[in-house]
Amino acid sequence: MLDAFSRAVVTADSKTSAIGGQELANLRKFIAEGNKRLDAVNAIASNASCIVSDSVAGMICENQGLIQAGGNCYPNRRMAACLRDAEIVLRYITYALLSGDASVLDDRCLNGLKETYVALGVPLQSTARAVGIMKACAVAHINNTSERKMEMIQGDCAAITAEAASYFDRVISVLS
Amino acid sequence: MKSVATTTVAAADSAGRFPTQSDLESVQGSLQRANARLEAAEKLAAGLDKVTQEAGDTVFKKYPYLKSAGEAGENQTKVDKCYRDIKHYLRLINYSLVVGGTGPLDEWGIAGQREVYRALNLPTAPYVAAFEYTRDRACAPRDMSSQALVEFRSYLDYVINSLS
Repeated sequence: MLDAFSRAVVTADSKTSAIGGQELANLRKFIAEGNKRLDAVNAIASNASCIVSDSVAGMICENQGLIQAGGNCYPNRRMAACLRDAEIVLRYITYALLSGDASVLDDRCLNGLKETYVALGVPLQSTARAVGIMKACAVAHINNTSERKMEMIQGDCAAITAEAASYFDRVISVLS
Repeated sequence: MKSVATTTVAAADSAGRFPTQSDLESVQGSLQRANARLEAAEKLAAGLDKVTQEAGDTVFKKYPYLKSAGEAGENQTKVDKCYRDIKHYLRLINYSLVVGGTGPLDEWGIAGQREVYRALNLPTAPYVAAFEYTRDRACAPRDMSSQALVEFRSYLDYVINSLS
């Protein structure tokens, strides 16, 4: 597992060069914007169950067949499994966002996920849609534009929002 | 690799929970101390060749026998390799300053170090002398700020201890 700092080290080591200049400037930016990152992680983690249930509910609203007999969210046992998985995906995304690197998400969550879902008969398209809704929810919470307003210092969150969105996109692209 | 956030994330993951307030606090704590580390890393990277040269020259001056026949620096190729090794350790110190932990030094420098030096019949005392010289030669505020110097010296001491 890597974070932004150890990623810079691994990259530099592959070239046998010391870390200086541009790489250090990027890390300084990471430090300077650290509080935005922590607020973003907090915004997602504090609203995790809301984000998860909204996304699964939204996925089902768009495709009612999922909760009819034979659907993949029927009966409750399978719906519960779906909610659990959405929470796991969201949790690994918060880890990636906190460390500033996707390796924890890749190694511990996405590696083999598609194959597992195919083997279990989980519909990939619906899963990707749920992740897409989670992305919209999470971005709204980070930008503080959701229904629930959190006490945060307002500022330019474009960079951290884009980074968070990229982790959701990563999950979607693995599933499709 | 152990670093600012990975330890926290690994602990949260083994408990299966989202990052908590205390996780965020601990990450913030290490970010606050990061500027001094990065300053030391930057200054070291900028002067890497010069620091290596000075440290190596000092050692060969202190232990002139190293250049005698049958010793570790008997020809130019072997002397160059000594300088290369000193530079290698300094680069790993640069990495450790960046991640804020001894991970890079441990994984790429110190693991297996004793066995390699024993197998190649290399003395470690000259390396210790080189890093002691570097440690004592560095001074604040000429080379870096005093806080950065504390960080730099602590990793030099770590290497010295591993070689002693």
